[in-house]
Amino acid sequence: MNALLSLSNGLATAVEQVSSAVVAVNARPRLASTGVHWRSGVVVTSDHTVRADEDITITRSDGRTVPASLAGRDAGTDLAVLRVSDADFPTAALGDPLSLRVGHLVMAVGYGPRVSWGVVSAVGGRWRTGRGGDVDQFLRLDATLYPGFSGGPLIDAEGRVVGVNSSGLSRQLELAIPATTVTRVTDELLAKGRVSRGFLGVGLHAVPLPEPWGKRLAVATEVGLMVVSLQPDGPAGTAGVVLGDILVALDGAPVSTADDVQRIVSGHKVGATLGVTVLRAGMPTEMRIVVGERPARRR
Amino acid sequence: MAAAGASRAIRSWLERDLADTVARLCRSTVQVLGPGPRSGSGVVWGAGGVIVTNAHVASPPIRVILSDGRRLSGRLLARDRGCDLAAIELDADDLPPAIVGDSDRLRVGELVIATGHAHGLPVALTAGVIHAISRHGPTPAFIQADLRLAPGNSGGPLADARGSVVGINTMVTGGLACAVPSRVVQRFLAAVPPSVAAAR
Repeated sequence: MNALLSLSNGLATAVEQVSSAVVAVNARPRLASTGVHWRSGVVVTSDHTVRADEDITITRSDGRTVPASLAGRDAGTDLAVLRVSDADFPTAALGDPLSLRVGHLVMAVGYGPRVSWGVVSAVGGRWRTGRGGDVDQFLRLDATLYPGFSGGPLIDAEGRVVGVNSSGLSRQLELAIPATTVTRVTDELLAKGRVSRGFLGVGLHAVPLPEPWGKRLAVATEVGLMVVSLQPDGPAGTAGVVLGDILVALDGAPVSTADDVQRIVSGHKVGATLGVTVLRAGMPTEMRIVVGERPARRR
Repeated sequence: MAAAGASRAIRSWLERDLADTVARLCRSTVQVLGPGPRSGSGVVWGAGGVIVTNAHVASPPIRVILSDGRRLSGRLLARDRGCDLAAIELDADDLPPAIVGDSDRLRVGELVIATGHAHGLPVALTAGVIHAISRHGPTPAFIQADLRLAPGNSGGPLADARGSVVGINTMVTGGLACAVPSRVVQRFLAAVPPSVAAAR
């Protein structure tokens, strides 16, 4: 058989297979977004497309529109989870996003179905979104995410769902949240309604340390993070941190970028105690901060 | 090792099949020049030897450049601005015909290719997939493809993986290629005055 024709048939069959698990999510004015029937009664979509908290409906591939309720949302990973009681339709077949390599053929699917194709453009390790979401794997697509595609599945050439597409995570890049992260966030949203993130309540700015100051420290570091803004009743403020303190270590590990801090803080559960070293007027000072929970983003 | 060999073989078949399909389609793709500075594309539609293009490309006096480089003057047989189609007759009986496919059998996600004189270049290829098929009636008004068209592609063929022409590339809306389905082209050609066809 003609290899081109069999590839073409394979792609069309892949779309057919996934399309019964793809729904339109009606939760914003005008343009609907796309959702994936992730597991029975649970539909995943993009957080930024869910403007309403109530009166949400989904339209299934058979054309039926049924009510859905918001189980939780996470702006960090741009995911929202809906519960659907009328769920007698197929769920998506999930694939393994770790098997994706640069150059693999993928397709983005919107409700309808509508399709765009392309290749995996870049793959990377764990990354943190601009809104603090923890994503297991970086997936950049060379494929167009047309209006309404956000929240829809990224599928491989066999029709398996390897991620959820989002145009809300980057202005420049077409990105997908890998299926592993979607499942993890979905579990947490179903259990608690939100994804809790550690929070110190400080704004930090990197500053080079004068040499004699660095020598007074137990950790070897040349750059510290000056506290340039502070929530007075936030976790750091409550612990006694003041404006102008220079953060140099968390739990004994040197920190020289805001990312270092986020990584360490997010590794701790909300309510855990963190040992902090700051330089105050040039003198090392030890403090203990109880990790707080990042407040929900106002909508 | 066997899997690697098989995958290498599939890759080489894919490349060969794509190259063959494209080469065949290119032979049947023509450039259509009107009175203005801008040009469009067209396709030799089946065995009849009629050139099909867009109505917005076909303004007399029409000149057509074949894939073998011949320049011929074309006679406008019919033009329908509603569905943006035109039929052109050439004084040549050895035109390489494109195979005509059936737009009603297209599936979302299947591969499609477009050939045409994008930006007035020698024939250029773009590849993509069927984006959506909106069926309000039995035949959709347009085929939407996730495929990059440029000015100059207008009137050229959109073909499936067999190389069969399933549409005439007509415009770009919202970044998507829109093509008039082959079924609509067939209906349009059926309405071309029989006196003209008989006079040939």
